[in-house]
Amino acid sequence: MSALVASELLKIRTTRSFWGYVAAIALLTGVGAAAHIGSTQEAARHEQSFQLGLVDIVGVAVVIAIILGITIVTNEFRHGTITPTFLVEPRRERVLGAKSIAGVAFALAFAVLAFVVIAAVAIPWLAIIDIPLRLGEGDVWTRIAEQLLSVVLWTLLGIAIGTVVQNQVAALVGTLIWIFLGETLLAGLFSLLDVDGWAAYLPFHALDAADGTGGENLLSYWPGVLVSLGWIALLGAAGTWRTLRRDIT
Amino acid sequence: MIEVDNLKKRFGSVVAVDGLSFRAEPGSITGFLGPNGAGKSTTLRTILGLVHPDAGNATVLGQPYRALAHPLHRVGAVLEASEVHPGRSGRNHLRVLATAAGLPRSRADEVLALVELSAAAKRRVKGYSLGMRQRLGLASALLGDPEVLVLDEPANGLDPAGIRWLRDFLRSLAAEGRTVLLSSHVLAEVAQTVDQLVIIHRGRLVQQGSMTDVLARAHGATRVRTPDAARIRELLAAQGTSVTELEDGALAVELPPEKVGELAAANGIVLHELTVEQATLEEVFFELTGGETTQ
Repeated sequence: MSALVASELLKIRTTRSFWGYVAAIALLTGVGAAAHIGSTQEAARHEQSFQLGLVDIVGVAVVIAIILGITIVTNEFRHGTITPTFLVEPRRERVLGAKSIAGVAFALAFAVLAFVVIAAVAIPWLAIIDIPLRLGEGDVWTRIAEQLLSVVLWTLLGIAIGTVVQNQVAALVGTLIWIFLGETLLAGLFSLLDVDGWAAYLPFHALDAADGTGGENLLSYWPGVLVSLGWIALLGAAGTWRTLRRDIT
Repeated sequence: MIEVDNLKKRFGSVVAVDGLSFRAEPGSITGFLGPNGAGKSTTLRTILGLVHPDAGNATVLGQPYRALAHPLHRVGAVLEASEVHPGRSGRNHLRVLATAAGLPRSRADEVLALVELSAAAKRRVKGYSLGMRQRLGLASALLGDPEVLVLDEPANGLDPAGIRWLRDFLRSLAAEGRTVLLSSHVLAEVAQTVDQLVIIHRGRLVQQGSMTDVLARAHGATRVRTPDAARIRELLAAQGTSVTELEDGALAVELPPEKVGELAAANGIVLHELTVEQATLEEVFFELTGGETTQ
């Protein structure tokens, strides 16, 4: 199994999109941190919520995480490399397991990169304007942990989506449409049917609750994590079943 | 050793493989022939555990492919030359596979040298020619130094020198006692390369055996030269045998030589020549597959 994971890690590292992900993370979090500091009132910069807000910029990594998750699987079908992959390891569920481990490892590395970029922007800036860091306070570390778990959940959901919808374009575009349109329409429908509460259980509503930042009409943190895991398990099971049965022609 | 036993596979309403059985033995190159859509690729992919058969089974080295503990060390396969991520270098493609198989990464450079592709090792596969991709595919099949090789149209995209190189290479692999099963549509090429033949048509076996046996079994013509050509043509036509006049004036008769000889003797016809025309692989192929074009 470790050989398979090593192979999956090598696969991620040896394509150009890997450097695209690194650049996107660095750019988004760098600009996000600068904008967050620049747009906050002088007085508010002393509050802890401001520093938590800096941590929350890591949230942009979830976009990269879900794209990474989807492409780890769909790239193989798109380029036909699934054939050599399954020739090396015909026990397909092990390949999916290795992909999940490698995907999560890289998504976490991207999140760490995001933290480093945010720190590289925020620490000198705050030092110059003489605002003390309040990293020691419990909430900041809790929030960092919550954001890391959130990145893991988004990666796993991406991998699960990729195994269900094996066409890369359909998986990526479908996921985007689902996030921005599907869940909104369903939430509206639930509201019409007078079951507003259901919307919070939709996959991306649940993931939204699972990043620790809270929000209106969302589940609280742990239920959000559990419902997210439930969706990952459901889609993952369907995708694994599909992958095991599929004829690779 | 590869054994296929009563294999059946249907895709929707299309029957791809219909009760196919054959075997490929170690130490020889087995040619797997059939017109396009005859079920060759489906069969090869079933042998390799990529396609699930509806009935029957296929084993490699006595086991289903999926049951092999380290399949890349036992079986090497080249299916489609395009099954490579275009953005990865040839060397990285092989390293990914070597790593998954638990082989040292240096093995990638060794097999690249073996297929004479070292110079392009670091280039992205996007820029490879079809011939180079074929070599890369072959390199990936050789990573684990396997006892069995399965190749689907390995000569595709190779230039004449490449084809000759491939032939010698496969010969040397078979001479080492390995099992080589290859499908091809280039009949002339197959005729020069393989020892054993498996010919399928519409998912069924139509002929299997050594190249010599298959050609001998084929319905060859008898070449007849006689000063009395008009008379023997008449007699043959009367019994419904087809006769063609050849360029040099001899006749090609669709009858075994002994029958032609008996007919001539019974009618007092002098024969100057009576020989068997060996059928070519191409003739045998078209006869067995109803003249449908291959490829």
